[in-house]
Amino acid sequence: MNNMEKSRGNLLLEFFSEEIPARMQLNSEIQLQNLFVKSLTKRDIAFESFKTFSSPRHLSIIIKSIELEQKDQEIEKRGPRFDANQKAIDGYLKSNQLKIDETIIKETNNGKFYFHSQKIKGQKTYEILPDIINEIVNGFVWPKSQRWANTDLKWARPLRNIVLLLNNDVVKGEVEIGKNVFLKFTNSTFAHRYLDKKIVINKIENYEQLLEENFVILDRNKRLEKIINDATYLLDKEKLKLVNDKSLLEEVVGLVEYPNVLIGSISKEFMKLPREVLSTAMRVHQKYFSITDKENNLESKFLFVANSIKEKDRDFRVIEGNERVLKARLSDASYFFENDISNTFENWNKKLKHVLFYESLGSLHDKIIRMANISQIFAKGFGVKSELAKQAAILSKADLVSEMVMEFPELQGIMGGYYAKIKNEHEEVTKAIFEHYKPKGVSDDLPETKLGSLLSMIDKIDTLVGFFSIGKKPTGSKDPFALRRNSLSIVQIFINFKFNLSLNELLEPSLKEYSCSSQSIKQNLIDFMIDKLKYVFSNTSNRMDVVNSVLNTKIINDIPIKIILSRTNSIIKFTKNNDFKIFLANYKRINNILKSEKFSNDAVLQVNTKVFDTIEEQNIYNLSNTFSKEIIKKGVCEKSQDILITYLIKMNASISLFFDNVIVNHNDSKVRVNRLNLLKNFHNSISKFSKFELIEN
Amino acid sequence: MSVNNSFQKIITSLQSFWIDQGCVLLQPYDLEVGAGTFHPATVLRVLGPDPIWKAAYVQPCRRPTDGRYGENPNRLQHYYQFQVIIQPSPEDIQNLYLESLKFIGLNPNDHDIRFVEDDWESPTLGAAGLGWEIWCDGMEISQFTYFQQVGGIEVKPVASEITYGLERLAMFIQKIENVYDLDWDGIDKKKGGKTYGDIFLQQEKEFSKYNFEKSQTSSLFKQFNDAETECKNLLNDKKNFLALPAYHQCIKASHLFNLLDARGVISVSERQSYILRVRNMARSSCLAWMGKLNE
Repeated sequence: MNNMEKSRGNLLLEFFSEEIPARMQLNSEIQLQNLFVKSLTKRDIAFESFKTFSSPRHLSIIIKSIELEQKDQEIEKRGPRFDANQKAIDGYLKSNQLKIDETIIKETNNGKFYFHSQKIKGQKTYEILPDIINEIVNGFVWPKSQRWANTDLKWARPLRNIVLLLNNDVVKGEVEIGKNVFLKFTNSTFAHRYLDKKIVINKIENYEQLLEENFVILDRNKRLEKIINDATYLLDKEKLKLVNDKSLLEEVVGLVEYPNVLIGSISKEFMKLPREVLSTAMRVHQKYFSITDKENNLESKFLFVANSIKEKDRDFRVIEGNERVLKARLSDASYFFENDISNTFENWNKKLKHVLFYESLGSLHDKIIRMANISQIFAKGFGVKSELAKQAAILSKADLVSEMVMEFPELQGIMGGYYAKIKNEHEEVTKAIFEHYKPKGVSDDLPETKLGSLLSMIDKIDTLVGFFSIGKKPTGSKDPFALRRNSLSIVQIFINFKFNLSLNELLEPSLKEYSCSSQSIKQNLIDFMIDKLKYVFSNTSNRMDVVNSVLNTKIINDIPIKIILSRTNSIIKFTKNNDFKIFLANYKRINNILKSEKFSNDAVLQVNTKVFDTIEEQNIYNLSNTFSKEIIKKGVCEKSQDILITYLIKMNASISLFFDNVIVNHNDSKVRVNRLNLLKNFHNSISKFSKFELIEN
Repeated sequence: MSVNNSFQKIITSLQSFWIDQGCVLLQPYDLEVGAGTFHPATVLRVLGPDPIWKAAYVQPCRRPTDGRYGENPNRLQHYYQFQVIIQPSPEDIQNLYLESLKFIGLNPNDHDIRFVEDDWESPTLGAAGLGWEIWCDGMEISQFTYFQQVGGIEVKPVASEITYGLERLAMFIQKIENVYDLDWDGIDKKKGGKTYGDIFLQQEKEFSKYNFEKSQTSSLFKQFNDAETECKNLLNDKKNFLALPAYHQCIKASHLFNLLDARGVISVSERQSYILRVRNMARSSCLAWMGKLNE
């Protein structure tokens, strides 16, 4: 053994507790490593690498090649004053075993003092470890935690045992978890529940292996792999496949210490239920995976992961038990389905009158009436029949009081769609109801049909405007009504379908429904929507400067959103054009001149053409007027955005000549003001297209 | 069918198991409650005065909205819970629970037992705790909770509560798919043996009808208000208050609220305020029990 090896060793820390919720496990691994690394760095103890593990009951970290002794530390200590009497100085030297030339004299705020440096021997790592572990335990933050028995410590579930080994030896020490309640460090942990066995860890390098032999797979990824491999093996034989469900898979990984993949059967009688009902009933309550054939048809089988060791008799019993539970669940679902089918939309809508949408925003019935009204204004623009739009809106929320959705809220919309179909509603209406909660997040699919998009949008606008109108807009990290996601969905649908509406037109009908005439609420809403537009753009464009230049134009509220899109794209296209670059420079020069002047407002300023004494002034004057007219005429046409930019480029010569031959800062204040006003009007007219000063060169 | 796994045998086995663990064996509280937790032996006792409290009891529970006129094989508006409350929570409580399963003929090692996150909260009791629902081969057979708070008051030391759903458990053990087919007494039908349905089917039909259709809501509203007034009166005098009778009124009000809920006469906006009124009764009663009403 060389010195290097002697000075370093391996460390194992394991927190053994009762079953930690699946959703918290992965994060607890990350937290453990962060806290440990922080504690070691703070104390100047180096290490080479680490690996963390988490299962329902075991949370652990192995640190490789950690220093067995803290580095020595040098600190500066102050002695007596420089002018102290000799006796004091001698005393100081003696008590610190110093010679005079080992000291230095330093000036401080309080005068000159003797100083010397003192070496503090680094402590042994095993001596410091108890402090570190206490620090980690107390520093841990769980999303939800509890006390137990007489403890003060909070952990996700009761913490029962702590393994702490350094170089395979138990570190002496304990963690205080309550007043006079301690957990001593040990070298033993526990096997899978079935074995009900304490196991002693003799060697850190065998830890993972040892636990696996005792049916605890510590590594999450290994458990995941085992599930996938076993599932694939079982399904391939029958030419079947698993319905991909990543979040369920991750949850299941956190529910088992030793995954045992099993397949059960669904009674044929239930296969007539809508596919979504089957998979939701299986997923939500039972955490079962759905299985399909190669053509994606749902099979009358389900896959689940038991926390057990494979054993034929037991597996048989476990499958049988799970099949029985599922049968009960599905017969419940069938019962709801049958009851719902014999009910009517009229009946449900009557019930909606008693279901509050939100305090002071009326009932859900009020909501569908508002939605129906708004739908009439937008239907044409969406290219859908207005009576279908109305019908879809009126039927959209009925399923919220159906028995099935009361039981499985995640089936909202989907059941409404099925029930509308059964009641022979128009196909467009049933599809719209089916998909009107989409998109449920940034990565979710958008509604596929036009009517579905319209319905989704007006539902969300109604919610957004409603909550803003009663002052419930999101603040900071708080967004209890998910209005951010909501407005983002509106923008996504809008962009996808390129609807020809401005933000004003989009929000006005809904504000009217709520009888809200407050300008500040409207402005808040518009700002909020612009923010979301920016967010969507930022995901697709690397020219946020251009995006901002368009979004910051004064009249943005009235520009149709599809124009905002095409204008942004046109400008981005031109940013590489040399003439455009010259225009940009010219515009910025005008902007700089105006910046130093204070204009009271953005109204059109008085320009007296009689005061002009150069042709260049007249030219700018004409250009300004022409562009103002052009932007009104062509500004709202998607395909004319390039043309408008070409107009701007064509102004380059006139602007250059103006700057060459006209002095803005004229001695005669009348002339000066007139020229400034001329430029300001010109600037305003161009700014209606884009605030070019925001574009980077 | 063997005598050993009858419904009543499961109850007596659980009783003797938990008696052996040092629990006092109590009888059901004599009022309609939504869960075994409502029993004063749980709600009030975990708040003191003795820091050690171990009790076990059967509690019939009523959840009017769960009534299905006896037509659903799994849902009942009246059913039984077996409740175990131990304070402070013992270190080996999970193992004790698994042992108790063995004791009633359900060997955990023959099955897939899972502790799945399920945090418990009772808005009407102002109570909350963390724990699991316990799955046996995918079937939820028990609830396990570490009580953190009751009546909005911190529970110290923490108590552990185990609630066995007796019908579910018995159905699992007897491998029965319809609750009404449960063997109640282990006696052959021909010799006069009774099933769960023999005893309770008629009750389910009649009470479902009562809960959903026939109850007089005006009278229920009045009774709710009366219970609330009575509860307040009993706690009014800060020196001579009566905590237990006050809590008794709170339980009454809670069930009346459930009956009104089943009739669908409490709107969503009113709902919250009714829950709050019951919670206030619970909280005041708890404070009174602890002698802290004045604080």
